Amino acid sequence: MLFFATTIDGLQMGLCFAVLALGVYISYSILDFPDLSVDGTFPLGGVVCTILMLKLGMPALLAILISFFAGLAAGAVTGVLHVKFNISKLLSGIIVMTALLSVTLALTKLLTRTGLTTTIFSFRSENLSGIFSGKAAGLLGAANRDYMILIIELVFVIAVKIIIDLFLKTKLGYMLRATGDNEMLVVSLGKDSGTYKILGIALANGFVSMSGALYANLFSQYDNSCGSGKVVMALASVIIGMAVFSKIRFMSDTLAVIFGAVVYSLCLNYLVLVDTNGIYLKLLNAVMFAIILIFNDKTSSFVSRRSKLKGGNAKC
Amino acid sequence: MLELKNVSKIYNPGAVTELCLFDSFNLTVKDGEFVSVVGSNGSGKTSMLNIICGSIPVSGGEVLIDGKNVNGLHEYQRYRMMGRVYQNPAAGTCPNMTILENMSLADNKGKRYGLSFGVNYGRKQYYREQLSTLGLGLEDKLDVKLGALSGGQRQAVSLLMATLTPIDFLILDEHTAALDPRTAEIIMELTDKVIKEKRLTAIMVTHNLRYAVEYGTRLIMMDKGKVILDKSGEEKQNAKVDDILDIFNRISIECGN
Repeated sequence: MLFFATTIDGLQMGLCFAVLALGVYISYSILDFPDLSVDGTFPLGGVVCTILMLKLGMPALLAILISFFAGLAAGAVTGVLHVKFNISKLLSGIIVMTALLSVTLALTKLLTRTGLTTTIFSFRSENLSGIFSGKAAGLLGAANRDYMILIIELVFVIAVKIIIDLFLKTKLGYMLRATGDNEMLVVSLGKDSGTYKILGIALANGFVSMSGALYANLFSQYDNSCGSGKVVMALASVIIGMAVFSKIRFMSDTLAVIFGAVVYSLCLNYLVLVDTNGIYLKLLNAVMFAIILIFNDKTSSFVSRRSKLKGGNAKC
Repeated sequence: MLELKNVSKIYNPGAVTELCLFDSFNLTVKDGEFVSVVGSNGSGKTSMLNIICGSIPVSGGEVLIDGKNVNGLHEYQRYRMMGRVYQNPAAGTCPNMTILENMSLADNKGKRYGLSFGVNYGRKQYYREQLSTLGLGLEDKLDVKLGALSGGQRQAVSLLMATLTPIDFLILDEHTAALDPRTAEIIMELTDKVIKEKRLTAIMVTHNLRYAVEYGTRLIMMDKGKVILDKSGEEKQNAKVDDILDIFNRISIECGN
C-alpha cells in the first residue's frame, strides 16, 4: 500500500515536473544552453502564482498561465547577459538564479500566508470551485481525487507539449532549432542569432515558471525552498527522455521528455522508501544522475559509431 | 559592385604578436565577375573574405557594396546581400533538420521568420526540382536529416541553399578543400553552373590552381596581404596552370615555405 501511494505521488510530481523538463528541453536540447537560472525561475513562478491567487483572487488556471510571463522576463535577462554582454552560459544562469533568490523572498514578504485554499486541483480541498463543478467532483468521489489530479495534470502537460511541438514547426521555431544546431547558418540567413537565443531562453524559463506554479498548486502551498535542485532534476529528465525514450519509433522528443520526467520522479520517490531518514537522498540523487550521464554517453557513442558505419556507404 | 578601399587589418594591435596583414589593400569586383583567389597559407585570402562578410572588423579603410559603405553593418546584415559556402561542409546546413526543413529555412531568407508554418508544402515540388539539378538523387530524400548525408552531398545542399534566394554576391571559401577529388570536381562543376545560371558575382578562394585557372573570369594571386597577380579577360583565358604554379613556387621559396 505504501508502494502504491509512493507510485501515485511520483506520478503526480512527475507530471508536474514534465512541464519543467519541457522548458529545459527548449534551452538544453534545442538551444544547447545549460541554463542554471531554472533554480530561480521555478520558485518565481510559484510565488507569482500564489500572489495572483491570494492577493488578486485570480482563478488558479489564469494565475498559472500568467506566471509564465514572470519566467519569460527572468529568462530574457539570462539571455541578454549571455548574448549582449558575452557572459558565459553557466555564469549568466548563476547570476540570474542568485538574484532571483532575493526577488522571490521579497515577493513572499508580500504574502501574509502561503497556503492556497483553492487550487487548480481544488476539489482536493473542501472548496469545489475549481475547474470542475461541484457535482462532477462529487460524482468522482473522494477516493478518486488522486486520479483526478493526474488527469488534470495530464491535460495540462499534453497542452504544453502540443503548443511546444507546434511552435517548433513554425518558421520562428525552425530558427530556434537552427540557432542551437548551427548558429552560422542563422547568420548566413541574414538574422541575428543572439535574438533567437534570448527568445529561446526566455520561453524555456516561462515554462519552468509555469511548472513552479503548478507545483505550488499541487501542494496547496508555496515553499521558498522548492527551487533547489531543479536544474539537476530537469536535466536528468531531459537526458533520460532523449537517451532512452526518443529512441523508440514514432516517439516525439517532447513526449520522450515527459516520460523522462515521470520516470525520474518515480525513481526519486522510490529512493525515499529506501532511505527513510532522508540523509542520503541527495547523494543517491547525484549518483543516479551520474549513472544516467554515463549511460547516456555510452549510448550516444554507440549511436554515432553505428551511423558512421552507415555513412561509410553513402555516395556522392 | 564590391570595392575594398585602402583596407588595413592589424591583428593584436599593440601586442608583441602584432601582425599587419593588410596595409591599404585595394580590390574592385565588378558585377558578374567570377574571381578566383589563390595564394599560400597566411597570404590573407580568408581574411579578405571575412572582411567582406564582416566576420572580422577592419582596422582602417572601407568596404563598399554598390558604392555604399557597409563598415557599420553587422555580419548578419551583410549576409542579406550575400551567400557563403564554407570549407567545412557542416557549416552551411543544420545537421539535425531534414533536407526539406533546411531548404524551407533557406527559401525564407530575406523574409520574416514568424509564427507561420515552417514548411510551405506548395514549394515542395520546387525544392525537388532544385535538388534534382544537383544530380545526386537528393530529391527523393527530402525527409532525411542533413547529418546523415556525406560531406559532398552536404556541400551540394549548402551551395543550393546559399543561392536559393536572390543574392548579390556568392562567397566561396575553399569550398572543395574538404572533399575527395571526384566529389570536389562535381561540386566545382555545380558551382560554375549555378553561378552562370543565376548570373552571380562570385569570389572563390581555392588552393586548387587548376580550378582557379579553369573556372572564373578573373584570377587573383595574393601574397602577404597584397595582390601580386591579377589576370582577367583574354589574359585569364590564356593562363596556364604551369605558369601560375611557377609564380606560386617563386613566392613560396621567397617565404621559405
